[in-house]
Amino acid sequence: MSTELDVFLFGIMTYAIIMNLGVSLYGVFRRPSITKKIIALTIFSDSANVLAIIVGYRGWPNPWHSPIPPILLNRHPTPQYISEFAKVAVDPLPQALVLTAVVIGLAVTVFLVFLALQLYRLYGTVDVRKVRRLRG
Amino acid sequence: MLSMETLTYGILALLGVISLLGTYLAIIEKDLVKAVIFSALQSTAYAFIFYILMAPDIVLVYVPVAVGLYPAIVLFLIKKTGRLDGDEP
Repeated sequence: MSTELDVFLFGIMTYAIIMNLGVSLYGVFRRPSITKKIIALTIFSDSANVLAIIVGYRGWPNPWHSPIPPILLNRHPTPQYISEFAKVAVDPLPQALVLTAVVIGLAVTVFLVFLALQLYRLYGTVDVRKVRRLRG
Repeated sequence: MLSMETLTYGILALLGVISLLGTYLAIIEKDLVKAVIFSALQSTAYAFIFYILMAPDIVLVYVPVAVGLYPAIVLFLIKKTGRLDGDEP
């Protein structure tokens, strides 16, 4: 059903997310401050999560009705209801994975902040160039 | 005539460009507090993208974590360690 314009617009978003991945990787590798590296790492993990959600998305059933969230509204679904539901609902599996990844990413970020604080207490700086010079 | 589908994809493309802009400014910015604010802007764009891509449960988790907790934790780190991205030799 989707026209070339739809594919183009969706591609803009997808390529913007992929460029986000690249820019945040540049931040992780090239910026000297550990704090900036942590910010870039959170952006990187969030971009990967958005890409996973994009994989689970689907085309619209028709141009005026969007897909629906993967939530059953019927307490006693019949096979026919489920087959109708599967025609319009998005894929729930990437959403479950991303939900876990968001929470684990929070824990990893807190741990990295703790490590940065310890680094600051030991060396008096969070600049990796200065820390490298101080070593040995 | 512009259908609802095209309009939605247009909003998605706009949000993607906003998030790219936020990421670029957050990485380039020397002042770390401003970088955190740009990062929160990018996270807000991501939250809207999640909502439009039909993942409301992720929005419920992502908004407090990425717009609330991440900036709070990183601001705490910035308060302890200093505000500038190290450019002085």
